[in-house]
Amino acid sequence: MQNLFEFLRKHYFYFLFLLLESLSLFLLADYNEFQRSSLYSTSHAISGSVNNVFSSISEYFSLRKTNKVLVEELAKLHSRLPEAYYQTDTVSHYRKDSIISLEYKYISAKVISNSTNKRNNFLMINKGKIHGIQNNMGVIIGNKIVGQVISVSPHFSWIMSILNKDSRVSGKFKKNNQLVNVEWIGGNYRKGQVKEIPKHIVIMVGDTIITSGNSDIFPEGLLIGTISNFTIAQDENFNNGEIFFSTDFNSLGYVEVVIDIMRAEKEELKASFKSQ
Amino acid sequence: MDITSRTVFLNIVRFFFLIFFQVLILNHLNLGGYINPYFYVFFILLLPFETPRWLLLLSSFFLGLGIDLFTNTLGLNASASVLTAFARPFVISIISSGTESLIGNTPSLKNQGLKWFLYYTISLVLIHHFALFYLEIFRFEEFFQTFVRLLLSSTFTILLILISEYLMYPKTK
Repeated sequence: MQNLFEFLRKHYFYFLFLLLESLSLFLLADYNEFQRSSLYSTSHAISGSVNNVFSSISEYFSLRKTNKVLVEELAKLHSRLPEAYYQTDTVSHYRKDSIISLEYKYISAKVISNSTNKRNNFLMINKGKIHGIQNNMGVIIGNKIVGQVISVSPHFSWIMSILNKDSRVSGKFKKNNQLVNVEWIGGNYRKGQVKEIPKHIVIMVGDTIITSGNSDIFPEGLLIGTISNFTIAQDENFNNGEIFFSTDFNSLGYVEVVIDIMRAEKEELKASFKSQ
Repeated sequence: MDITSRTVFLNIVRFFFLIFFQVLILNHLNLGGYINPYFYVFFILLLPFETPRWLLLLSSFFLGLGIDLFTNTLGLNASASVLTAFARPFVISIISSGTESLIGNTPSLKNQGLKWFLYYTISLVLIHHFALFYLEIFRFEEFFQTFVRLLLSSTFTILLILISEYLMYPKTK
């Protein structure tokens, strides 16, 4: 017995280690069991009260994550808006469910590279082919336009920003549905050009330009910007205006990619028309 | 205050500071989705040489448990910390040549020199992170992915420790 105590005393470091280590591993392995015990409620009360005190601080550090969750939620909600549905009036005498069917779907993505200071600006986002993104899909932020997908890899996509010489957006006046084209000629990243405004249209500073929905890229009714200036041309058929973009391209965090579910059908229809 | 009670006080303050620093700031840092430093292990590294071994184990156990309470991973950080504390005396005896290296009260870059301190920090941080990361997934399916995460996070933790050492003892000799 004397020897046993002596042995334990001499090697207590090992025994204490084994004891504490097995206690930890036991807690780790048996966590679910532990959650039902009273010890758990005590420990939770302690950590809960401390957490309460510090939540206002730690909340701040998870803002980014919270924001991401919110944007994803917003994308889900967008998919359920009436605008996202395709009206199939002609079959209204069938089942009630088929009056509308989903036309647009939205995927949120994080902008991981962006520029506004070049002539041709591009963005990169952290979603790609495996998330269902394809070329020529529109990219928006909230109800404002951002650009168009031009290249996809499995996990990433390149977006051609509106701030690009090859970008041409089909828009219209919100007040009277008159079609116009919106382009960017470089320089100030908040200002673009509105081309081909018919002569008879009365332009006012502050007129809202929205997407027309004529191109297959953007759904109808997204904000492009407001007219900030215009010139009346004397000897041409069209007037030109200057537009103030609603989108602040320099502060894009999370964007949404618009997936047009009926795109294949639309393209098929166009192709069949051309081949005739 | 005499030197002993001052050391005890300093370590108690460090204990709580490192727990809060870890759970309130570092745990929210997730650089590149891969790197999450576990800087709190610095506490175990900085305990005085003369710390009784039972205190070394117990304080490390409660340090890990403190982190676990906030991350809802009861036992995970505790077991990694206890293992690190257990390994500490062995690491010290392996890397020290005779007693002359153990000058000063606590292990430090200044007293033991860069080489000694690097060996010391790298060994213990790797032991800690190895236990932590593999206990966390508890399977070998993601072995290499976890290994990369482990190495990146260890590197970051070691860097943080070295920076803190340099900040505490700015430019000596």
